[in-house]
Amino acid sequence: MTPFPRRTRTGAAMPTRAPVRHRIIIGALLATAALYFLAPVYWLVVSATKNSADLFGTFGFWFSDHPRPLRYLTDVLTYDHGVYARWFANSLLYAGVGAVCATLLSAAAGYALAKFPFRGRETVFGLVLAGVLIPSTALALPLYFLFSALGLANTYAAVLIPSVVSPFGVYLCRIYAAAAVPDSLLEAARIDGAGEARIFAGLGLRLMGPALVTVFLFQFVHIWNNYFLPLVMLSDSGLYPVQLGLTTWIGYADRQPVLYQYTVGGALLSVLPLMVLMTVLQRYWRTGLTEGSVKA
Amino acid sequence: MTYESADSPRGGVRRRAVLGGAAAAAAGLALAGCGDDGDAPRERRKGQKITLTFWSWVPGIDRPVDLWNRTHPEVQVKVEKVSAVNGEQYAKMHAAVKAGNPPDLGQIEFPVIPGFLLDGGLRDLAPLGAARHRDAFFAWQWRQSVFGSGIYAIPQASGPMGLFVRQDLFDRWGIPVPRTWDAYEAAAEEVRRHGAWIETFAPTNGNRFAGLAWQAGAKWYATHGDTWVVHLDDAPTRRVADYWEQLVRRKLVKTIPDRRDAWYKDIQTGAIPAWVGASWGDALLAGNAPGTKGKWRAAPLPQWQPGGRAYANWGGSTTAVFAKASYPKDALDFAVWLNTDPGSIALLLQGGYGFPSAKAGYTATALDADKDFFGGQPYSRVFADAGAHVDTSWQWGPGVDTLFQRLGDAFTDALADGSSFRSVLTKVQRQTVSDLRDKGLKAESGR
Amino acid sequence: MSGHSGLPAGAATARRPRRAGRPGGRDARAAAGFVLPFLAVFALCYLAPVCYAVWTSLRRTRRTGPLGLGTEHDAFAGLANYAQALADDRFLTGFGRVLLFGVVQIPLMTVLATALALLLESAAARWVTFFRSAFFLPYGVPGVIASILWGFLYVPGLSPLVRIAQEVGWNVDFLSRGSVLWSVANIVTWQFTGYTMLVLIAQLKSVPGELYEAARIDGASAWQVARYVKLPLLRPALVLTTVFSIIGTLQLFAEPMVLRPLTSSIDSGYTPNLHAYSEAFVGNNQHRAAAEAVLLALVACAASFGFLRLVGGRGKERG
Repeated sequence: MTPFPRRTRTGAAMPTRAPVRHRIIIGALLATAALYFLAPVYWLVVSATKNSADLFGTFGFWFSDHPRPLRYLTDVLTYDHGVYARWFANSLLYAGVGAVCATLLSAAAGYALAKFPFRGRETVFGLVLAGVLIPSTALALPLYFLFSALGLANTYAAVLIPSVVSPFGVYLCRIYAAAAVPDSLLEAARIDGAGEARIFAGLGLRLMGPALVTVFLFQFVHIWNNYFLPLVMLSDSGLYPVQLGLTTWIGYADRQPVLYQYTVGGALLSVLPLMVLMTVLQRYWRTGLTEGSVKA
Repeated sequence: MTYESADSPRGGVRRRAVLGGAAAAAAGLALAGCGDDGDAPRERRKGQKITLTFWSWVPGIDRPVDLWNRTHPEVQVKVEKVSAVNGEQYAKMHAAVKAGNPPDLGQIEFPVIPGFLLDGGLRDLAPLGAARHRDAFFAWQWRQSVFGSGIYAIPQASGPMGLFVRQDLFDRWGIPVPRTWDAYEAAAEEVRRHGAWIETFAPTNGNRFAGLAWQAGAKWYATHGDTWVVHLDDAPTRRVADYWEQLVRRKLVKTIPDRRDAWYKDIQTGAIPAWVGASWGDALLAGNAPGTKGKWRAAPLPQWQPGGRAYANWGGSTTAVFAKASYPKDALDFAVWLNTDPGSIALLLQGGYGFPSAKAGYTATALDADKDFFGGQPYSRVFADAGAHVDTSWQWGPGVDTLFQRLGDAFTDALADGSSFRSVLTKVQRQTVSDLRDKGLKAESGR
Repeated sequence: MSGHSGLPAGAATARRPRRAGRPGGRDARAAAGFVLPFLAVFALCYLAPVCYAVWTSLRRTRRTGPLGLGTEHDAFAGLANYAQALADDRFLTGFGRVLLFGVVQIPLMTVLATALALLLESAAARWVTFFRSAFFLPYGVPGVIASILWGFLYVPGLSPLVRIAQEVGWNVDFLSRGSVLWSVANIVTWQFTGYTMLVLIAQLKSVPGELYEAARIDGASAWQVARYVKLPLLRPALVLTTVFSIIGTLQLFAEPMVLRPLTSSIDSGYTPNLHAYSEAFVGNNQHRAAAEAVLLALVACAASFGFLRLVGGRGKERG
């Protein structure tokens, strides 16, 4: 969807018309909501400056007498030969590579489903739709046995391969391609003698841009947040993504109390980059997000 | 100085014969074949370098492993730390066995060994000559992994049970440290009068409940011919269930989960001044409540009979070799070294792994690692004595993880809807029999 | 407004573009080239596991040898695993629980998200970017981390929230038997309200501004614009997010799993997914777990399609 610059201008002019009373009420409501959404994050920031004893012993919404954020966060990064950094890199790898591949595969499939009337097309699309509805956790266990038989369990591929499939991405791409890629343009390119692959790469991908950004972000967050699949697939802690590593830490925190503090610090570090990403990329989310419903 | 053998009194020969007989009929014949299918085990050539993987969750386990790796350049061991929350580690191991890609070695607790035998997951170490290490370990712990003629793991540590108390608070309130369960109840009333709670009865902790039943003389599993006999609903267990039920109903104990955040907070503040725990609890208390240093003491587990000496075990684990291990001989060597080498035991004790299964290789001083926390008390004697009097005829059966979970669920229900703890036993007994049948075993309820 | 029925409607509309006169062979080859890479991975990661799960669910373990510790083999069991799963009170209670959860939490979250979207898009709102980012931020916190985080805010003795509540004389226990389900609901709401809100805002922005302007010129108040112009426009986006919420609710797993050790109120079958997990991993009964997974998938499909049917039908009546 193209944004409406004109609307923004009218939007900016409007507040002068809104009564002060409205503005105060709305502001208060929004501030209350913001308090709700930000309080746990605030708690996380405060707690990351505490050691395990203060975590248990001091009031959660305020700092201890001797906050040492840098020291404790450095501890997180250096503990156990810097395994945290490794987990973080793994998460980036799974989510980054997985989301890029998922986007390309979805784009190609969605494009073909929209632009080529081939036999069995609707069957394929029906399968994809069913795929959207199947709980992915229900698949994890059989997938584990399958991958074990193939010798893929406990490898990067075990998490990466399932991550490149995004039925929702295909669905979105098909709908978007149907509307945003004009047949006439494709015909023209064909008459010019361009191959189908080149038409897709040069024209299709470009025209489907906004939808692709959405698919990418959606899948990135999906993989980043996925807990069940790596839990089932991975046993080598060197392959763990961040959140799996953190649950291991909290799992034996009672034997090694310092791990409480590391878990909290690690949680903050893992959340920060994604929060930045979310905030920065909001605009792109907005442009493509509703295609699934709007274009219909 | 080596520590006094906890096994020497009342020699286990006859008992071993009896127990061995029961299990031999059962397991011996059948299990012999377990380790043989799958990848053919290999003999390491001299000078060949190999790497073994080892799944464990014991904190600080990497230190003895590092020591091994420094001294054994040809056989490197790689530790994978697996999460021990809610039994996740065994879930992973079972899945890996099923999928055919388990590690070479694993940390496996006494109660779950039979469950792995059912999978054919563990390698019989007897043909590799494991029997010659038998005398290095306390006999009843060695027997935890002996089924018929097979030896399925090398014992690492046990958890003789005892009572931890905040001596300062008990003194201030004028409460004697309870020696019997009756006295314990009286103490609970008194503690409650001072605004604290003596304990928590964690409904999800089936493991400790088993220990308490064990102490009371229960025998949850037995074998009869070809059939597993489950007897959860026996008189001793009922006695324990009734006892804790009335403590719960009279609101003399909390019902929060133990060894988790809220419990640690209570331990730190003195809101809970006692804990029916086990030998490995010293490190937990010292690590999580450093502010209470010097105020704790260890005492023997309260008794049902005044002057009695009935004890039980909570936890305790082994180093097992999985059936698919490519170099079982080397894996066995590592398992034996890990649990008998003085250097290794010293490092394990520093990590607070429990009470060594090995008879020698450490000093009383090393066992009392947290002596200062217990006000200078040589507290390991309490647990050594308990370990020497553990009723060693207790036997675990297959599917114990499920049993613990069923117990936890049923106790959770009972706390919520007020049904009796006895009904929990009846229900779990029925479920366990049916679970075993679901696994294709012959099972019946004990009478 | 055509095609407000959400997901499947896309299938109908996308069929429209049609090209004539292309040689079918070339089309099919090109299409195959585009679709096959996806289909191959899809078959491996979706179709194969589904088939495997169905197959596993129809079998059970048999054992021979003394005490049954001998050889084991699988045998056909018909629908026995399904029968057992459906006879298991805990499994069914888990379903009841997530249904209750969904019936309460999904509308609540949707109303909250809609209200926030409309407030942010109302003319009177200030600092819109800040608020929008603040609301959306929890979406970037993975479920497991969010649960660990909220866990600290729930545990009595540690939680500053409980302490504040006690200061004002309110004795609250977030982890008690009665409240823990809503504590889980709170975590989910916290995480996903911002996402839902953003989808709704995108929908609002996709409508030409003149529409709102026209309504204003006609004398509609801000409230009337929101109620009679914007809200109806949100319908397709609401359908989309609700379907996602339904699927997500039935799959509830990470939150109760992480909170479980903190409370005595969450059992091993708290949600159907947790039950299947326990069955597979703790009980080591893959067959029953597979049957439960299949049942769960069926219910998820039925619930989603049922919902789409429902709103689709009503949409037509109105249209």
